[in-house]
Amino acid sequence: MGNAVEFKKINKRFPGAHVLKDVTFSVKDGEVHALLGENGAGKSTLLNILHGVYAEYEGEVLLHGNKVAFKNPNEAIVKGKISKVHQETNVVKDLTVGQNITLGYEPKKGVFVDYKELNNKVDNILTQLRCKFKSSDLAGNLTAGEMQMMAIAKALFHESKIISLDEPTTALTLKETDALFEVIRQLKKDGITILYVSHRLEEIFQICDRASILRDGQYITTLNIADTNRAELIRNMVGRDVAAVAGRTKSGIKQKEIVLKVEGLSSGRKFQDVSFELHRGEIVGFFGLVGAGRTEVMRTLFGADKKTAGRVFLKGKETHIKNTHQGLKDGIGLIPEERKTQGFINLQSNINNVALSSLERYMSGIFVDDTKRRENCEKYIQELEIHPAKADFLTSNMSGGNQQKVILAKWMSTDVDVLIFDEPTKGVDVGAKVEIYRIMEEIAESGKGVILVSSELPEVMGMSDRIMIMSEGRIAGELNREEYYEDHILNLAIGGNDNE
Amino acid sequence: MSNFVKSKKRELVVIVAICIMACIFTILNPIYMTGKNFLSIMQQATINGILAIGMTYAIISGGIDLSIGCTFAIVIVTVGKMTVSGLNPVLAIFLGILLGAAMGAINGLLITKMKLQPFIATLGTMSVYRGIAYVVTGGWPVLDIPDAFRTLLSKRISSLGGVNIYMFIFFAVAIVAGIVLAKTKFGNYIYAVGGNEEAAKLSGVNVDRAKIKAYAVTGVCAAIAGMIQLASLGTGEPTAGSGYELDAIAAAAIGGTRMAGGKGTILGTVFGAILLAALKIGLIVLNVDTFWQYIVTGIIIIIAAYFEFIQEKFASIVAKKEVK
Repeated sequence: MGNAVEFKKINKRFPGAHVLKDVTFSVKDGEVHALLGENGAGKSTLLNILHGVYAEYEGEVLLHGNKVAFKNPNEAIVKGKISKVHQETNVVKDLTVGQNITLGYEPKKGVFVDYKELNNKVDNILTQLRCKFKSSDLAGNLTAGEMQMMAIAKALFHESKIISLDEPTTALTLKETDALFEVIRQLKKDGITILYVSHRLEEIFQICDRASILRDGQYITTLNIADTNRAELIRNMVGRDVAAVAGRTKSGIKQKEIVLKVEGLSSGRKFQDVSFELHRGEIVGFFGLVGAGRTEVMRTLFGADKKTAGRVFLKGKETHIKNTHQGLKDGIGLIPEERKTQGFINLQSNINNVALSSLERYMSGIFVDDTKRRENCEKYIQELEIHPAKADFLTSNMSGGNQQKVILAKWMSTDVDVLIFDEPTKGVDVGAKVEIYRIMEEIAESGKGVILVSSELPEVMGMSDRIMIMSEGRIAGELNREEYYEDHILNLAIGGNDNE
Repeated sequence: MSNFVKSKKRELVVIVAICIMACIFTILNPIYMTGKNFLSIMQQATINGILAIGMTYAIISGGIDLSIGCTFAIVIVTVGKMTVSGLNPVLAIFLGILLGAAMGAINGLLITKMKLQPFIATLGTMSVYRGIAYVVTGGWPVLDIPDAFRTLLSKRISSLGGVNIYMFIFFAVAIVAGIVLAKTKFGNYIYAVGGNEEAAKLSGVNVDRAKIKAYAVTGVCAAIAGMIQLASLGTGEPTAGSGYELDAIAAAAIGGTRMAGGKGTILGTVFGAILLAALKIGLIVLNVDTFWQYIVTGIIIIIAAYFEFIQEKFASIVAKKEVK
């Protein structure tokens, strides 16, 4: 078998930064090849070179033995037969699936688009991928998983021989992920080479043949997945041993006092009859499939959405939270799921973002005192090891893990009693994940109640004192630590009976 | 670069632009660089400057207020009528400010509680407010505004070389509005809401309250500007202020206010208004046809917007380098 892709001494420099250093490795024809590394290791840069986003670099890229130098991504797709399925897929929502897939290369009859031919062609590909939607459906109506399939269909429309998938499962449900893996296996059978980038190591073991690891812009090694394990991958990614990524280091910090009690909370059709209790010092995990209503419950508790029924008690007193401002005042905080769009203010510095929820702490008379704000921010920069360690830096220009730490600092600056973490490690690299877990534990230890919403089983199981499992808008079960079995939890989440 | 220069980069660019423009006008006609002419520039800048300060609040909060010219007119005719009927002028000014705040708050309520797009909501109230101004006056101007009111807001101070008192009102409004925006919790919330409304909401910011207050400030500024015009002209026309909202937007844009919200300063807007005034007076001094003034003003706005774009792009490149 030949090589589908060969990287030879690839060097890429940005002004003031050397981001890829002599990267040399190859991807075999027809394999599923994982590209691993922490955030900032150079994976995206390497993919961008491969797919023609960066035309300027040193070294050689060979596709099937031939040297290539694409001027732009379009040339890579059309001439190089190599496509990238984006992390956040680009979809024109007001166009049909077929129009999206053929955008710019529509089959034509004279000057007009031949929609019959277009839909036929696209429907053929969609059947091949076993998609339930059709070419004539509106792209805006697709789920995240279906949009991903549409992107793969686009790659096949352009007869790609090599397809890169960049964090393809981030927004997918378990079912959709399985369907995606089925398609990947199918593509592999058809001789297509897949480059697979993901932070979820479980997936690597499920789907990949080999994995190449980058660290700080350097190529480290390529491992056969069959001959390696999780620990070895992580060791190579971070250059050190990270003990069982998600796990508790302290136990017995749960206190007697119930800080949050929820009774029969409902919000229309989104979720119904949710009841649970949370103690001080306790971490309660909320597991469920995408769409189970976990995020909606948390948003309602915090006051971002309205409830239609139910009662909420904080520190023993009933509260009627109407908006997030009141939620914050009453002592609930939420670290939202979508960091980039919900987590911080784009044009503002770390100082402002860290201080936003606790401005009353930095007042001198009627004015916000900048020195006090800066001191608070710098304190957390040190404590949480935020990088770059600059208070004036714009939060939007930092890496995902560090942005998350800024958001954590914002909530640690408040005096809320209950802090909700909604998918706190989504798209965060392994090193930063561990740090976020430690911070979460420290927050619980300080006597707050912590809720962890997560779709990653190892994370929920490792971190939670108790797990609440949600399915289709309802609490499907509650498990204590000694009852944690992956298949049991999943069964409940899928809607299976507790006694099965 | 020192921190001060860095943080006031945009304002400095506008000042430099004003200086270059002044030099060109002076070379073409030396009359331009006289104290008297400087005064007329500042007076020209006053009305638009105060309106633009209010507009800056609305824009930074992530919206826009097209109705300010009409709020301006309502305040002119109602305060005009009140003073003519013999109401205490100080009380009339106070009521005028309240009226402006109420009109602004109505915009804020439409935008937050009814979830209307700011552009559409204020397009609607723009027509309603203008209509009210006509209804109140029956379409006729309010004449013979008493001097007791006029001298409170518009009076040349001969000991200061004929500077009009309203210039000081302009500066006072600018200083107060600037400090409130930069230093108070309310100001911080406006930036946060305009920068990312959802993130502000999920940080526990009362988004609706911040927006309603921002539009109330916009309304108050329109009221103050209106009363100054009423005092200096001595008559109140229901047609007053038409098209002023566009000049106010232009001043804010030239001063570096980000049209999508979340960024901008009062200082920048003030210099933006001064630049527009300096340009207008300059073209008058040079006897350029009024029609050409529109063209030149438009070109300046486009250049300012493009400059903003370049600046943002440059800043993000620099920051990316720092991360690495």
